[in-house]
Amino acid sequence: MPHIKLILFTMFFVVAAGTCFAQSTTGTVSISATVSKFVEINSGGAVTLTGNSGGGVTTDGVANSPLAVSINLGELGPSNTNSFVTAQVPLKLRSNAAYVLSMSATVTSSGSTSNKIGAADVGFGLGTITRSGTGVNTGGTDTNATSGDPTLPANGSVNGASGRYEFTAVRSNLSAFSSATTALSGPFIMNAVPRSNANGLTVPAYFAVKPQFFENGTTTISVTFTVTAP
Amino acid sequence: MQLRHFTYSFLIVLIFLAVAQTTSAQALDISSGGQPTITGAVNGSVTGNANVTSDLVVTVNFGEVSPLNTNSIVKVMVPIALRSNQPYQVAVSMSGLSNANPQALQPSDIGFGIQNMRVLGGAGKICTQSTHIISSPFNNDPATSATVGANGRVSYPSSLGNLSGSTILLSGPQLSKNNSSIRQQSDGYVFDAIFALTPQFFVAGVSSATLIFTISAGPNVPC
Repeated sequence: MPHIKLILFTMFFVVAAGTCFAQSTTGTVSISATVSKFVEINSGGAVTLTGNSGGGVTTDGVANSPLAVSINLGELGPSNTNSFVTAQVPLKLRSNAAYVLSMSATVTSSGSTSNKIGAADVGFGLGTITRSGTGVNTGGTDTNATSGDPTLPANGSVNGASGRYEFTAVRSNLSAFSSATTALSGPFIMNAVPRSNANGLTVPAYFAVKPQFFENGTTTISVTFTVTAP
Repeated sequence: MQLRHFTYSFLIVLIFLAVAQTTSAQALDISSGGQPTITGAVNGSVTGNANVTSDLVVTVNFGEVSPLNTNSIVKVMVPIALRSNQPYQVAVSMSGLSNANPQALQPSDIGFGIQNMRVLGGAGKICTQSTHIISSPFNNDPATSATVGANGRVSYPSSLGNLSGSTILLSGPQLSKNNSSIRQQSDGYVFDAIFALTPQFFVAGVSSATLIFTISAGPNVPC
């Protein structure tokens, strides 16, 4: 019996010695990588303000920088004789997946009557969508859920009964965006290019107010854009 | 008594077999060449045994390579040790990484090159009549030579897209001075296999590939 143990021990020793630093003619390298969905919204460039009386762009947009603009629309009473005060805010979107751009807005006026400026008095719409430049997926079709430039004749008119100008088209004023609501959606925007590529989808966001006999006071409009990859 | 004779005889046979195994042992060997490293990764890692007497078993996780990773490039260096008592060649074959969507991660999106062929210790054979040749186009560091193509996508002088079947990467003369069948700490050469991946707007998903490096008898070049 001790001899059998000795034999087994010796066999184990020989085998172990042979395998401990045994040579091999092959080796393996296993590789993996993860790509998560990615979306972003940035400024598409400088804001354009037209039809204003006083006011101005307080904080302008800078292309490819985070979107954080501040605009003073100036006088919105009848002393402003322009037909509309319009702010055009360029947006730039980029994604590696289908995207949804939603928006929410709040409008707060200091007045106390129904004649104060309300969310329905602020026209809104997204303009022409542009997919261009190296690395941009130009094959996609985007869906604009708004009615475009709110100052277009088709998008609003004077209410025959009240006499108040109203933005009447679908999602053409901020009352349609009291909670996060889809404004734009579409397929992936960027082909496989690095983030340093500055191209993307650009679209102007229009905000417009028709100067009227609003109740005097001040109004603050706050708009938040959010892009997601559902 | 007879059992004791049998035992001694068996031991002698075992020793003889072990010696026979040594004398006819493999003359070609590939193993770990040291600790692999990774830089520029987000949630990435590389694992492998730093001991040059260990088998080459390396797992590379590049991590996040969408624009969520704001680093310019993810670079992985895998040292690989070679030993031989004869002229050799190293080939690599790849499986996996076959995304149908052209905007998803493709083999050509992972730069792959060979650099820094160097002696592993004092028992590495320095031949004067032949050199170690890195096959074209793999003689480069893809992390330092990436360029942006006309379509905006990053490309490399060589990549996993250059692998077709078993692709020869390297060849040359004898690597080891001694003729041991046992791996030693200092009896061959080491080179760096370099992988580079630039984060881009790839289509979302997880990709994987397996590379098998093989050393075999190479062209009969003098030492």
